[in-house]
Amino acid sequence: MTRREMVQRSLLQGLAVAVLTAIHLTGGTAKGQAVPEAPAVQEHAKSAEETDFPKQAQPLLKKYCLRCHNADTMKSGIRVDHLTGAAEDRHLALWNGILKQVSAEAMPPEDEPQPTAEERKALTDWIGRALLAARSRPTPRNGAVRRLTVPQYRNTLRDLLGLQEDFADVLPPDGLSKDGFTNHEQSLTLSPLQIEAYFDIAEKALDAAIVDETSRPVIQNFRLELGSKINPEPCPDTLVLGALNELLSNADFVVQELKPKKPFEYTPFRMRTAYDFIEGYAGNDTVRGWKRFDSIYHSVFACVRGTPGYPKGQAQQVIPAGLLLRPAIPSPEIFGQSNTYGPMANFKISLRELPQEGNFRVTVKAARYDDALLLNPGEKIREATAETATAADLAASADAKLSIDKAGLYQIDVFCAPGEPQGLFFLQLGEREFTGHLFESKQGDAKDAEHAAAFAIVRLPAGELKLSARYGNSSRRLKRIVLSRVAQDSEFAKRFVAFEKRPPLLGVHLGLRRDCGSTLTPVGDIQTVSTGDLRDYVFEGAIRDFPSPDVERDNVNYLAGIREIGVRSEYTDGRDMPRLLVRSIEFEGPYFTAWPPASHRQIFIESPHRDEPAAYASEMIRSFASRAFRRPVTAAEEKALLVVWQTSIAKKRTLEQSIKDVLLVVLTSPQFLFMIENSTGPQAEDLDPYELASKLSYFLWNTAPDERLWELAAKNKLHESLDAEIERMIRDPRFGQFTQEFASQWLSLDKFDVVLVDAGRYPKLTRDAKTQLRQEPVQTLRHLIEQNLPLRNLVQADFVMANEVVADYYNLADRTESGLHFVPIKHENKNLGGILSQAAILAGLSDGREANPTKRGAWLARKIIAEPPDDPPPNVPQLKDDDVSKLTLRQKLERHRNQEGCAKCHASIDPWGIPFQKFDAGGLFKPDPEMDSRSTLPDGTEVADLTGLKAYLAEKRIDQVAFSFLKHSANYAAGRSLTYNELVFLREEGVKLRAVDYRLQDMLRFVIHSDLFLKK
Amino acid sequence: MPSPTKLDRRAVLKGLAGVTLALPLLEAMGKEVAEQTPRRFCALYTANGMSLPNKKHGIDEWSWFPVKEGKEFEFGRSTEPLRPFREKLSFLSGLYHPNGPKADPHLCSDMWLTGAPLHNPKPGTFNAVALDQVVAQHTKQHCRQPSLVLSIDAGVGFLSRTGTISYNSEGKPIPAENNPRRVFDRLFRGDRSSLAQQREELQRRIRLIDAVLESTRSLNKQLGQSDREKMDQYLTSLNEVESRLIASEKWIDVPLKKQDFSQLDLEVTSETDKPADYYRNMFDLIALAFDADITRSVAFMLNREDGMGISDTFPLKLGLGRTHHNLSHAEDKEGQLEFAKYDLFLSEQVAHFLGRLQEYKDLGGSVLDNTIVLFGSGASTTHNPTNLPTLIAGGSNMGLKHGVHVRNANTPMSNAYLSILRSMKIEASSFADSTGVLSDSIF
Repeated sequence: MTRREMVQRSLLQGLAVAVLTAIHLTGGTAKGQAVPEAPAVQEHAKSAEETDFPKQAQPLLKKYCLRCHNADTMKSGIRVDHLTGAAEDRHLALWNGILKQVSAEAMPPEDEPQPTAEERKALTDWIGRALLAARSRPTPRNGAVRRLTVPQYRNTLRDLLGLQEDFADVLPPDGLSKDGFTNHEQSLTLSPLQIEAYFDIAEKALDAAIVDETSRPVIQNFRLELGSKINPEPCPDTLVLGALNELLSNADFVVQELKPKKPFEYTPFRMRTAYDFIEGYAGNDTVRGWKRFDSIYHSVFACVRGTPGYPKGQAQQVIPAGLLLRPAIPSPEIFGQSNTYGPMANFKISLRELPQEGNFRVTVKAARYDDALLLNPGEKIREATAETATAADLAASADAKLSIDKAGLYQIDVFCAPGEPQGLFFLQLGEREFTGHLFESKQGDAKDAEHAAAFAIVRLPAGELKLSARYGNSSRRLKRIVLSRVAQDSEFAKRFVAFEKRPPLLGVHLGLRRDCGSTLTPVGDIQTVSTGDLRDYVFEGAIRDFPSPDVERDNVNYLAGIREIGVRSEYTDGRDMPRLLVRSIEFEGPYFTAWPPASHRQIFIESPHRDEPAAYASEMIRSFASRAFRRPVTAAEEKALLVVWQTSIAKKRTLEQSIKDVLLVVLTSPQFLFMIENSTGPQAEDLDPYELASKLSYFLWNTAPDERLWELAAKNKLHESLDAEIERMIRDPRFGQFTQEFASQWLSLDKFDVVLVDAGRYPKLTRDAKTQLRQEPVQTLRHLIEQNLPLRNLVQADFVMANEVVADYYNLADRTESGLHFVPIKHENKNLGGILSQAAILAGLSDGREANPTKRGAWLARKIIAEPPDDPPPNVPQLKDDDVSKLTLRQKLERHRNQEGCAKCHASIDPWGIPFQKFDAGGLFKPDPEMDSRSTLPDGTEVADLTGLKAYLAEKRIDQVAFSFLKHSANYAAGRSLTYNELVFLREEGVKLRAVDYRLQDMLRFVIHSDLFLKK
Repeated sequence: MPSPTKLDRRAVLKGLAGVTLALPLLEAMGKEVAEQTPRRFCALYTANGMSLPNKKHGIDEWSWFPVKEGKEFEFGRSTEPLRPFREKLSFLSGLYHPNGPKADPHLCSDMWLTGAPLHNPKPGTFNAVALDQVVAQHTKQHCRQPSLVLSIDAGVGFLSRTGTISYNSEGKPIPAENNPRRVFDRLFRGDRSSLAQQREELQRRIRLIDAVLESTRSLNKQLGQSDREKMDQYLTSLNEVESRLIASEKWIDVPLKKQDFSQLDLEVTSETDKPADYYRNMFDLIALAFDADITRSVAFMLNREDGMGISDTFPLKLGLGRTHHNLSHAEDKEGQLEFAKYDLFLSEQVAHFLGRLQEYKDLGGSVLDNTIVLFGSGASTTHNPTNLPTLIAGGSNMGLKHGVHVRNANTPMSNAYLSILRSMKIEASSFADSTGVLSDSIF
């Protein structure tokens, strides 16, 4: 940024402060009851100030300020020589600053000549009057030109080209505006670096979208099938995979290359199987020496290296029907604290070759296994009676046959000779196989020196049952197994019924082999496997979005560039659930349903002019540029683009290349990169229909308008169908792009992203728990808007929006069975409900170790009631570590705010933070008697704790919360800070929504229907 | 609004484009380029740490870190070969990557130039941008190649035992070159057809940028009373990008500096029995590349972390008893002494390199005075990612004040990196997890 830009930026930021301060000023002592004076009075007052300026203010500025703050010296970047009596808008922040400095007697500095008290008063009076007048005059509206934010650009490019790939990750992240938003015109800067990135991205994206029509695609398609002894000819080689590897035996899987049916010609890709490598890895040492490998099982193999062990049962087990997987328990992967090889139960296909680009599809044939519920340590064996139990004697043979009289639930108890535990217990019942630990049952006295263990509960059909068992590597110690019927109405039965209903959650991941840690990244959404029949589950992604470092062409290292396709039963909170049965995994990529692909045909459109290059080029350019510019391309623009095409074609570039050239210009032109609201003069004008379509679409979807919005704009019917469109847009999945962006920025969730959690103090706040908790405020807001619920639910609610992970964090796990879906859960806990008690907020406003009432208070004041505290003064004294190191953070803060100069500001911050005191830095309620959560709020109201504060906000201060929501959403919708008049409008008109309970969808509508949105 | 002088310059340059020029660099590239003292950067990495012998063995003089701090520091026996450069170099101790102890220590070479949280990467990525690539981003418009990435082993190796220390802005490893002949051919013997292709591509870009400029200007005219500030920013940036491209295109026509290549032996490869020959050739190539201003950013991984790659065997080839990785793990006196002797060997190679940089004359002094050379490791002793051995040489013309051993206890390495960037006049507010620049240091 240039110096000029910086100054300008800080001025504009200052302006926001000035405007907000104005609310306090005019509102008097009662917070936020600002009423502007009638404009006519100000018109008159304005000229009075202007007349007074040369007498009352200018001489004093000259006398006391100008020596340092002139155009040349510009001390602290400030100059006053250009200030006029008109108190122009662009100088308001500066005037406001001068007012503050002069009234606080901070300026002129002590060692300079000081004005008399009268002089000081004369100057501050004049500035006060001038500001008041200036703030209430109508602000000129000059349209808007702001560039797309990085997510907007990403979404727009993806929708425009019909590509899944994210090409935008090379762009530098957007800065935050004073209000915390990334889409503000002033914070959206442009640099040469960014322009270069736009060109590079456009180049890459067009290469991906446009193909050579005469070429044939090359498609890779293979299937890995799983099942014990499925491969009659396993590869005899030992794979050279270094330390701590664990592979599935090659006898248990088979790989086959396929040729998919396609409605077009293509070349099937065949994986290379012959390699010469000189370098491998044994243990921690390099092994060197040329070695030739030739088998598809050196190119594709099945790896299960992860964190070893599993708390209950076995992480994975191969059975004839396929591979059984237990939920993959995440590992924090922090060296020294945990294993760094990934989750427990970490199955993946390792392979050397995948396509470089395009979309791919992974199809998993899977089912919910008809599983047994393994019992926990300490659970009791059943009293066996002749009526309810059947026993199998295993003393002589590991196999037995039983007759089950009645279908139903049975508990399996295992009896064996005493001795040390000898590993896992394997049991086959009919075709089904179960594996687990034998936890010693405490109940049975060990008479006859016999050990008994309650193993599992299983549902069995009536009839003959073949049984086979093994304990560790032998069955010598096994004596007998007893199956006892479990009564249908018992607790055990209920537990089993809940268990067998739970669907495993199937997730597919793609990444790159790492010697430690993982690069596996989810492909698409997790899918619910709720049937016992094998079905195909399809996952799609774009290969570029996954880690893929290039391996040099002549690589000779056995381990270089190995990619991994992970298939998991996803973990939520550790509740028992049936295992996931995986029969086969098929990969296809690049995945095309047609050739040329849709991305290409959207550019090379159907046309009767396909044989006339110039006419066809015109047509393509018109169509593409209009979609890219989000309005019909003008004749002049079309002509200029056609010239680009003509030049390219003249340089002997092919039609595809020359069209790419034109499109590259389109994708780097400001019409594409910027949202433009064109203005003809300073008076407010209506947005044109296309501008409205874009504004609406970027507000509610964070991407370009879809076809329907375009059509309505084209027919000039968008203004009249605004309400119907808002409703449609909120119901659309793209609305998630709004809630994600807006909630994150309004509520400063980025703070939660970066907080370094002290794992010792908050062991439950793991990386994976954080990922889910991060969604809680977003999902809460989305739910409130979609259901059009009253705003008070934002601060005080009898439900939380949670999935199993989030519910588990708040100890509500037993109230939900929603997997990873967020659903409202009634919490019946006075310390929960509303965003104020959400972990993502509270932990984000801590340092990961201790709660911070000041941060929480400032956040609440700024975000929830829109009464932002002043910025901290530039010279805040550092808390010296040496003299206060023994104090807790709370004591340090107390000491700090008792310092002179700090107390005043903190008086308007800390009272809002104190009620949170019983919530720790992990965001959970801790009934700590040491912590005092009683607080006297700035208006004198006393609250006992957070519950009291929530009630106060939801009832007494709901207008203020509503104003804050309106202010922030309008701010985000308009992409700029609001003017004084606009804020007054939101406050005065917004309050009318109270009559209908401040419902959130209504509030968004209110913003959209307002002039601040519809006018330019 | 773009300044008229810029437009004029552009027009002039554009008029010249396409004509093969045999002008000396100074005239061809214009005064402001030629008169600016170049700022270069070179990162040299050695794996597995340095020898810091256990006190009980009584061989403290073999410690890589000087025993004393400040101006009075004394070279240890393993750094003795660097003595002639005493006033051109400094030792920095106490630095570390706060993310280091959280990740597997075998990853310390991956993190050395990036400081990234490898234990918790951003989804879909592995690493973050490396210092040499940040430098390259800013120096590329002044030279032919943005950067040169070298390593003892070619390519990227495999992830988490990566064979390169350089990562691009997406955090992807940049494949390294390891063969002196290939490096030489590419840098000093660029073939005509690839040059022609390069020129054609640059001209195409310039043509398209011109079209965007055109379209931006005409849009600007239609904009009525709308706020033009963003448009101006866009035009200025576009102009800047275009003039960079024009500068790149010019480079194609600027003949390479006449240099003496007689010291090179391009038959040597990393498979040699004499590791010193290999390193000397690679260092000579870097020095020549700087001297000819082919690039201003170089990263060279001298050997690989853990027991990876050919360099693990170098100590054996030098007559020492164990491989590099095993020596670094040695607890016994003999092993620790031998590890230190390998440090001595490396010091000799680095001293040779500094000598070469010193020999070449440059604007305002020697190439060394215009180059910040960073030499170090991602671990103090093996797998111990604290107190990273760090030596910084050169860069006097960028204000570096040498001849000291500075200790900054428990300070982020990224602070040193930020200081390097600032010394190179690269406006960065931070680097990775930096908390500021190094205070009371050599910058």
